[in-house]
Amino acid sequence: MPFRELLVTIARIALGALLVVTGSLKIGHANELAAAIAGFRLLHPDIIEPLALILPFGEVLLGAYLMLGLFTRVAAFVATGAFVLYGAAIASAVLRHIPANCGCFGPNDQAVADWPHVAFDLVLAVIALAIALGAPGILALDRRLNRS
Amino acid sequence: MNRRVLGIISVVAIALLVVVGVIYVKLHPSAQLQNASVAPADGSIEIGSRAPQFTIPTTQGPFDLNAETKPVFLEIFATWCPHCQRETVILNALYATYGTRVAFIAIPGSETGMDGTSAESPFDVLNFVMAFKVKYPIGEYDPNLTIAKLWLKGGYPTIAVIGENKIVSYINSGEIPQKELAAQLDRALK
Repeated sequence: MPFRELLVTIARIALGALLVVTGSLKIGHANELAAAIAGFRLLHPDIIEPLALILPFGEVLLGAYLMLGLFTRVAAFVATGAFVLYGAAIASAVLRHIPANCGCFGPNDQAVADWPHVAFDLVLAVIALAIALGAPGILALDRRLNRS
Repeated sequence: MNRRVLGIISVVAIALLVVVGVIYVKLHPSAQLQNASVAPADGSIEIGSRAPQFTIPTTQGPFDLNAETKPVFLEIFATWCPHCQRETVILNALYATYGTRVAFIAIPGSETGMDGTSAESPFDVLNFVMAFKVKYPIGEYDPNLTIAKLWLKGGYPTIAVIGENKIVSYINSGEIPQKELAAQLDRALK
């Protein structure tokens, strides 16, 4: 088994699990998530309301696709975009000196948006990009589907 | 099941998720969600600036910033805000430790009541005090939110420390850990 394949698989499952966990922690806490998003002062309230309901399920779904290795390349590219967007939103809050709460890990996460969070999101974006480029790795449904 | 079918199912599921989310918000408007989706007012107070004078009746007598000789611990909170509700435990603990050396004042700063839907009223503030066993002084609810609008910074609760010289030495928002707030009060007392 090539070492690169093994690395992609580990990264894919770990990143998928992270998204499933962060998404699950936000489900049922739309008010807190909406407040966290509003704190960034980037989106209109009319967009924030449905986003606060949809985003947690979107994260869980994306994480599940990565863990299963289903449409891995597309899912990993979407994850890359999501992490870049999260990082950009946090960076904009830091640059504008807005003490926004990250809200990354659900309602109990009161970490304030700062540069380490930007760096963390960018590292996750790089990992997601690496997964997309090396997809799907082993133990992926994509392999089975490609064979059939 | 082949790749094509799974792809179609995935696209349909994602589209459904978005459509259902948008329709749900339109059909079941929630005042709590609407309130939470609006960014709170961003006041003009900065660290290092002079605190503007204010007076306000509180649950423990009138408060006058100019007449205050001790450092001031100021909180702007919302009775409906879960972060503010949880922060009462920390503020009670700080009040027990610093209450004789620091003037504490918490001011209601939202137009929305404790249930998250109705308009804020003095009864909501009283309910908040009783429900969370608040020990520190709570300011009277001002429907114009005059003081709160000046101080709110990023969200509820906003907490500020004002030195004896009336200069703002600290301002932050969210569920701030007790250790951080205690360190700021120790600094103000030096």
